[in-house]
Amino acid sequence: METKVLTKGFELDHLFRIGVYLDQGGYRAVKKALTEWKPEQVLDEVKKANLRGRGGAGFPAGLKWSFVPQKTDKAKYLCVNADEGEPGTFKDRYIMAHDPHLLIEGIILAAYAVGIHTAYIYIRGEYELIARRLEGAIGDAYAKGYLGKNILGVGFDLDLYVHRGAGAYICGEETGLLESLEGKRGNPRLKPPFPASVGLFQSPTVINNVETLANVPFIVLNGAAWFLERGSPKDGGTRIFGVSGAVNKPGIYELPVGTSLREIIFDHAGGLKPGRTLKAVIPGGMSSPVFKADEVDVKMDCDCVAAAGSMLGSGAIIVIDDRTPILDVLSKVAKFYAHESCGQCTPCRLGTSWIHKIVKRMAAGKGRADDVDGLIRLSANIKGRTLCPLGDAAALPVLAIAKKFKAELQTALKGSA
Amino acid sequence: MVKIFLDGGPVEVVEGTTVFKAAQRAGIAIPHFCYHPAFVPEGSCRLCLVEIEGSPKLELSCSMVVREGMKVSTQSPAVREARRAVLEFILAEHPLDCPICDKAGECKLQDYYQDYGLTESVFREFKEKREKKVRIGDQLILDRERCVLCTRCVRFLAEITKTHELGLFERGIHSEIGGYENEPVRNGYSGNLVDLCPVGAITDTEFRFKTRSWFLTKGESICPLCSRGCNIFIDYHPGFPRVAGSAKVYRIRPRTNEAVNGPWICDHGRYGYVDLQRKNRCEKLIWNKGPGSTTELSWDKALIVIGEKIKALRENGKTGRISLILTTWLTNEELFLIKKIFKDGLGVRNVSFADPAPGTEDGFLLRADRTPNRRGAREMGFEVKPVDLDVLARDSDILFIFGSSLAGGSNDGAWKAALEKVSVKILVTAHLNELASAADFVLPASSVAEKSGTLTNADGRIQRIAAIARACGDIRPEVQILLDLAREIHLDDAYFGALTGPEEVHRELAKDIPFFGARP
Repeated sequence: METKVLTKGFELDHLFRIGVYLDQGGYRAVKKALTEWKPEQVLDEVKKANLRGRGGAGFPAGLKWSFVPQKTDKAKYLCVNADEGEPGTFKDRYIMAHDPHLLIEGIILAAYAVGIHTAYIYIRGEYELIARRLEGAIGDAYAKGYLGKNILGVGFDLDLYVHRGAGAYICGEETGLLESLEGKRGNPRLKPPFPASVGLFQSPTVINNVETLANVPFIVLNGAAWFLERGSPKDGGTRIFGVSGAVNKPGIYELPVGTSLREIIFDHAGGLKPGRTLKAVIPGGMSSPVFKADEVDVKMDCDCVAAAGSMLGSGAIIVIDDRTPILDVLSKVAKFYAHESCGQCTPCRLGTSWIHKIVKRMAAGKGRADDVDGLIRLSANIKGRTLCPLGDAAALPVLAIAKKFKAELQTALKGSA
Repeated sequence: MVKIFLDGGPVEVVEGTTVFKAAQRAGIAIPHFCYHPAFVPEGSCRLCLVEIEGSPKLELSCSMVVREGMKVSTQSPAVREARRAVLEFILAEHPLDCPICDKAGECKLQDYYQDYGLTESVFREFKEKREKKVRIGDQLILDRERCVLCTRCVRFLAEITKTHELGLFERGIHSEIGGYENEPVRNGYSGNLVDLCPVGAITDTEFRFKTRSWFLTKGESICPLCSRGCNIFIDYHPGFPRVAGSAKVYRIRPRTNEAVNGPWICDHGRYGYVDLQRKNRCEKLIWNKGPGSTTELSWDKALIVIGEKIKALRENGKTGRISLILTTWLTNEELFLIKKIFKDGLGVRNVSFADPAPGTEDGFLLRADRTPNRRGAREMGFEVKPVDLDVLARDSDILFIFGSSLAGGSNDGAWKAALEKVSVKILVTAHLNELASAADFVLPASSVAEKSGTLTNADGRIQRIAAIARACGDIRPEVQILLDLAREIHLDDAYFGALTGPEEVHRELAKDIPFFGARP
């Protein structure tokens, strides 16, 4: 079975041009859904396909859409999370750069399913070229009548805008994204209410990751059963795994959901460099707890990775070999979250900074015997007690590294004491 | 109604109530920094976490709404540990300058540390250095090291005054409160930020380093600086020996009354009140015998001399030539005694009022009428009309002036000329100004903080003020001065002899005038 679905067209030249995209059968899904299906059918099909969010939390997309009230006086919004801030993650940029119309098609379908007439792509500020490419593609889609008023003559309207972020990880958190999109400081909101009922501009809002939406046209065209066949029963389709770190062939690999982590690293990404041994793998972006070398026989679907004590997250696999001191990894993790904490809630603001200060001191050769236990205690005090998921994102990797590599960290301390 | 179980005990509350409010109703205090009843819950301090049966994580009591049968634990080991951890995080970066912090003694962080912390610090890193003296308003100093970032100040300015002077800048550990383009907080309600701050991050220049909170006693009173009658606390030193003079009131704070002022007061009241108490106080009796001849006087002698002059007019049947200049600063009881003695007893007809000029209404609490009891004077039957200086000069042999608002207006020369023509001028005042030199007798009266009584606000609400600060020097409350005077001239010995203080006077007032019948 052909595994590549989302990335299949990436090798084509100029797929981002609407002519090429249409030649490849582009916008067929939109035509099919808008002319033959009722919105509920799109929603049902996506629900049946068990399409889970590709952004990090792995929440079922169809279920998320169904939370939006059908009858409301307010405008409903779709926000596409293209902030792609999770360290190690670089998959959405490929979709948007190579195949922007696929995303636009997904957006149209999601908007049609939920009854939305305004959508925003919130894209990270650094993706300037991609943002321009998206804007070009959107302009073409308007020109061809796939966006705007009365799409395909069926009376469905949709406006789509690109909004560039300004470089904060926290704006990838869905409510931080909403605040930022509203022009405010990107502090996450207290939930409930959830965005499905009170989101952008106080209105019902769907927020989906780029890759999630890019899957929707294929579900519409090929059906839920086809999609499920390509993944796990409760987690359908393929995923674009971004492999980085100590492998021979870093890059993106589109593989069925549920492919083993070992297979991804050793078969697809070319394994480790000669003479090196695997030390650790971060399986789903930097906020996912680390696996030790003997824990990589795990199927990469949301539930299996969670059962193994980590999370599939954004599918960004960071491979660490024996040449990298684990303290270096810990330093990167600690520094990143201390830098990106928005500062709103106490445990995250002060906890991430405290952890960073300890790790910096350890790295400077001034570690103390109780530092590793201190890190475990502090990250446990952040975990589950913060306003938004950033607290857990910061605490869980520190907790995992400190617990699983305690011996190595302690040895490093001895050398420095 | 929804029934929930708080620490095992059943509590019934209205649907939609938060767990925090339900606990408050049940008398269970839940620690908090960011929560404030006047604002939308923010959920950032993470101190009000509670355990709810069936919930995998601890939940925020400030925003969690009750559900039927919900079982909440506010004191479980997990809850106590979470609160301890939050306090540990805050204290790790908090300066331990409590010995010089104005908030010490009434600081939430100190209190919660007593309740939940009491652990030794394991923080071995360098604390962040931040600015400790940022001028953010005319009376406000921000100490960024003490700030716990509850953002109550920011939200007060966003949600209540809607002036948005402060915001949150930078992020993570570098987050800080600050002004935009360094514009100061200046909206007439800035002092509330000091009360809102749960720690000593925002302090008041008027209070900074002046005293310690534990030396202060709080008394309940009413702000007299406009006709709204905001409910206040007066924080004062109860006769602390080292404090000289009458400088005993240290600060004014709002006392929550949803029907009048909510939890706020304006700066005009807050800072004006302390000035009223401290500045230009009249503390001694004065007898201006002639140009350049000023004598100190005892109360006994003053009453005899003034009494003789009234009696002389009475013997000639000319008490109609007594004039009164009153002020709506006077309490209901004082006005009632003036009515009883002068209007009813002596038949005085020439009664007018000299009050501070009205200000502008700010659309929130501050009213244009800058005196506390105009409504009371009206309900008492006084016509609150301004002074007619010509009539005054023509028709007065004895003039009683209560308060010192006659001076200070634009017609300075005019009132001086008019007073020249009146042979006996008696000024009863708490504050000295030019008027004192134009009067023959100056009798020192209590300030609002030093006397008891009631005030009627513009909405007709009769509210009680209490004698809180001890008066200095020869100062006496007006009620006592008036009763002594009535006894001196033997007006109605049976009636006035039975009255000993504002309580009895109020009882008579309530009997006489139905409006005042309902005891506040």
